Amino acid sequence: MDESQLIARVRAGDSAAERALYDAHVDRVYRLAFRLAGDDALAQDFTQETFIRAFDRLGSFRGDAAFSTWLHTITTTVVLNGLRKVKRFRQREADIDDAHEIGVVQRHAEPDLKARLKQAIDDLPEGYRTVFLMHDVEGYTHEEIGVALGVETGTSKAQLSRARAKLRVALSDFAGEWVK
Amino acid sequence: MMDQHEDPKFEQWLKDAAKSYHSPVPTPSEEMWKRIETARRSKRVIELRPWMRWVVAAAAVLILGIGIGRWSANQASAPAATSTAPAGTQVANEIDSLANVAYQVAATQYLSRTEAFLTSFRADANRSANTARLARQARELLATTQLMLDSPAADNPRLRSLLEDLELVLMQISLLNPVQDGHDRDLITQGMNQTNVLPKLRSAIPAGPVPVRRTEGAL
Repeated sequence: MDESQLIARVRAGDSAAERALYDAHVDRVYRLAFRLAGDDALAQDFTQETFIRAFDRLGSFRGDAAFSTWLHTITTTVVLNGLRKVKRFRQREADIDDAHEIGVVQRHAEPDLKARLKQAIDDLPEGYRTVFLMHDVEGYTHEEIGVALGVETGTSKAQLSRARAKLRVALSDFAGEWVK
Repeated sequence: MMDQHEDPKFEQWLKDAAKSYHSPVPTPSEEMWKRIETARRSKRVIELRPWMRWVVAAAAVLILGIGIGRWSANQASAPAATSTAPAGTQVANEIDSLANVAYQVAATQYLSRTEAFLTSFRADANRSANTARLARQARELLATTQLMLDSPAADNPRLRSLLEDLELVLMQISLLNPVQDGHDRDLITQGMNQTNVLPKLRSAIPAGPVPVRRTEGAL
């Protein structure tokens, strides 16, 4: 059975078809949520929310784009909004903590490549980071990213280029690793 | 022509190295599916078919028209001195309506705050967050939860059940021991997962910017 038939059955209220559609896409949705969130509990929450919204709004899916593209538009919206919410909440907590910890000097050991790479990716602006992770790590095309994020394909390419440039500067201490 | 910033060696190295960034664990698809089913069942949203939407829209326009007609008739014909009782009733109705909207705004904001708090708590469950601060925040939310349980909101069985679940979770967090809380946190998180409290909470929060959506056209 092809996907359009499966979607028609879901619209008709077939719960087995719902499960089949979920099984076909859950891995990729969860992987993207995990890459962006970096946390299993958050990734599970975001994945669940994505499918709940997708099933509720399936009536508005007209089939102009692939179902997976439509689903990843919902995924990125859910994940990015969710992460902003968590970030704001944690920032408020951190501000309170900072007020109690003035004068405490923290010493950091020299981080290794993995830690530096993580920090450099975390420090990227949200748009650059999202495009970089979707394209270079999860293998989405610029066309898919453009639709999912609601931007032009050219914008996606430009953001990827800037993300790589920023990472190159941030990781310049490790230049020997890639010029071998 | 190759862009001056392009460096295929660096890009390949970066792609390989970045695979370790937030490397996903195996997808827990069964667990998530159970929660999705539960959340969707608890929503019990009436799906409107296209023709039903037209009927609902037509009914809304009709009701609005009748409302405007009655209001303008009252404005034109009711003499001020002799209409104290109907005017009083109208004012009382308007106050009721505003109180209802204000209540909805407060309830939605409370649910959003609680969702943000519990999402953050669960994400931080295995980290050394400030337990005393979490407990304090949980106590604040717990007080609001208990007020809501005593309010007319609790007449709705679904909301009452959600508030009772939230009361239990918030009470457990408010009692966390700062010295030895790792095991307790695990138990609280397990309880939250078993009762599906977060999906239920999310399905109770209307989509869109909270205060604006609820007050559109009313205030």
